[in-house]
Amino acid sequence: MKDNETYNIMFCGVGGQGLMLLSAILGKAAVDAGLEVRTGEQHGLSQRQGSIYVHFRIGKPLSPLIPYGRADMVIAMEASEVLRYIEYLKEDGVVIMSNRIMPPVSETEQIALDKQKQTKYITVEQIIERIREVTYRIVTLDSLELAIEAGNPRTENSVLIGATVACEDFPILAEDVRKALLGLVPKKTAEANSKAFDLGMEASTDCLGTS
Amino acid sequence: MASDSMFSLRNGGRNAGSCCLIADDPYAHSSQSEQDGRYFGEAAYVPMIEPSTAQEAFDMVKWAFEVSEKHRTLVIMRTTTRVNHQRGMVSLGNLNRTPFKRKRWADVKGQYFTVGAIARRLKAELLEKTQAIRDEFEDTDFNFVEEGDGDLGVLTGGVCYLHTKEAMQNLGINIPVFKLGTIYPLPEEKIANFLKSLKTLIVVEELTPYLETRITAIAKEVNSSLRIIGKKSGHFPEMLEYNVPIVETAIADVLSTVPSTDYGAILERAARLKEILPERPPIFCPGCPHRGTLWAFRQALQQLRIRNEIVFNNDIGCYSMAFLPPNEFSDSMLAMGASVGISAGMEMALEDRVIAMVGDSTLYHAALPGIVNLIHHNSNVTLFVLDNSVTAMTGQQFNPNSPFNAGGQPARKINMEKMFEALGAEKIVVIDPYETRDCIGPIKEAIQSDGFSVIISRRDCALYGDRQKKKRGERIIPSENDKETCREIFACVREFYCPAIIVDESDHKMLIQQDLCDGCLECRQVCPVDAPRSTEVER
Repeated sequence: MKDNETYNIMFCGVGGQGLMLLSAILGKAAVDAGLEVRTGEQHGLSQRQGSIYVHFRIGKPLSPLIPYGRADMVIAMEASEVLRYIEYLKEDGVVIMSNRIMPPVSETEQIALDKQKQTKYITVEQIIERIREVTYRIVTLDSLELAIEAGNPRTENSVLIGATVACEDFPILAEDVRKALLGLVPKKTAEANSKAFDLGMEASTDCLGTS
Repeated sequence: MASDSMFSLRNGGRNAGSCCLIADDPYAHSSQSEQDGRYFGEAAYVPMIEPSTAQEAFDMVKWAFEVSEKHRTLVIMRTTTRVNHQRGMVSLGNLNRTPFKRKRWADVKGQYFTVGAIARRLKAELLEKTQAIRDEFEDTDFNFVEEGDGDLGVLTGGVCYLHTKEAMQNLGINIPVFKLGTIYPLPEEKIANFLKSLKTLIVVEELTPYLETRITAIAKEVNSSLRIIGKKSGHFPEMLEYNVPIVETAIADVLSTVPSTDYGAILERAARLKEILPERPPIFCPGCPHRGTLWAFRQALQQLRIRNEIVFNNDIGCYSMAFLPPNEFSDSMLAMGASVGISAGMEMALEDRVIAMVGDSTLYHAALPGIVNLIHHNSNVTLFVLDNSVTAMTGQQFNPNSPFNAGGQPARKINMEKMFEALGAEKIVVIDPYETRDCIGPIKEAIQSDGFSVIISRRDCALYGDRQKKKRGERIIPSENDKETCREIFACVREFYCPAIIVDESDHKMLIQQDLCDGCLECRQVCPVDAPRSTEVER
């Protein structure tokens, strides 16, 4: 990446999914690669099940907050959260998202109380249709399935991180990211995490058609 | 709440530096009100500094201790949410730590008894000291000017400096910027020099026009025709949080140009795209004992038919979320420990039954004097103490209800029941929110009893409890809904709001998401037909 450029990633998800670890891994990778990092985070009333985000900026970041329309990438651990922060995504930016939806209780209540059984949960397809008004570069991953395939259902983070580096304009080398990842996860899960990283990378390459 | 101590502390210690960190929360992300703490520096004659980045925060703390030791003063470092919750690169440099050593009082004795004549002498000293600090702040590199073109300039500090720099980059302009690092005392001469060469000044600061007002006063002396753009000109709001688009739009407006991006159009489109999106308000965790306590409380009120004849004073903690559905309690939630004091006053003035609620941490931190007062007056107040073992909301820290101190060292756990007994509380009941149905009776009884009553609802915070279980090698066994038994009553959804619970669209029955469920089985207690049951599968 050029000297005066900044690469912006909006991380989002639901409290308890491990978003902070996810951003810590990419943060470490960026620092190890000699890039500057600045993040703006949200803490407090979102320990579990609330909507959470991290503004993550690499290169020559100034403000800790990404301006609207300037996120090169949105990484979402939960699909509907992409829409919640859609104003940050730039035109033709990249979306890397888990296909998992965690319905808020208010939505479940509407469905439960509908005696006609007509009300349905919002679907990944509906979400993607809307994201397409901003970008077609969307990677949807069954991150849980891939994590299980990697040998540990708790490696969903690594699947998403693997998917990230497959994106051609991502400014950090894949192997640098893998090194940072393996440096931050528990030793005994290193193999599964590395495999999850590979599976994410493969899945993403297929989606984006890049190498 | 700390200002009384702060006004006394300003005279500083005699031996070591002291620096106090304060944080304002524009947008009130997690605060009871938007407050602007910058006025405290001036009001107490305490020097106040403000960083923008993580690196600057680090450098400023070191400097704060130097200033504090040199001038024997407290120094306040003022921050905002976006500085505190920011991560960035920090180069540590040399850290010279002196090992801690106890001293003799005789060697370090200072003037800590302040009243009358002494207070007046100290005030005179303080004014002298402030002048010396003012001189030092004129020269510090934490106040600096970035040269630029033209007679339009910006004065800013804190995170707004970063927003401003990025806004300028986006607009492709290079105008002079005064970056302010010392909020009090202000480097008035340096500012005056900066203002002299300008025709227009944009002041970028969140919350009140603290700087704008003071800069206007300086400009009156040195450049009375200076046009000042800020809150009073209508370019910036006096509330909420700023970001690059807000600052960029204001600067573009002054320059009679347009921002680099049509931010308004982006926001409009986003609002349209989000129309299908359900809200995701914060909620109690799966397994949270508060959910059971509040459910049982609601049942008790319903059975007594007094839901509309109570006042519920809430306090600061996870349980603040009792104001959200399905509980929708909370007639007040103002400041830590305030629930008990407010209840004492209300009990004297209202016909309704008064209920207060605190957590174990808030109880010991800020509620005791209020409780003493309630018991002293034998007030008709029922106090819920939600004892979940730790200070849950801020990350499971220890408190006097723990056998460890804040540093993790062994400490004495205060015996809560004995404490209430010793204070003379006549009615003390302990309930287990996981035995949710069994809680209703004791709650009814306590609410109906005369005088002060306390209900201690005791069960570990689910996150803390899980962590302890894992340490002990115990399994967390999730629950499942027995669909044969389930009759789609949905009490578990309507009355309980557990995020692990969803509706299975294939058969319209309740489904427990196994990876989210904590296995507390409170939902079984809430279900009229006992449909939820434990699985024996390890998560």
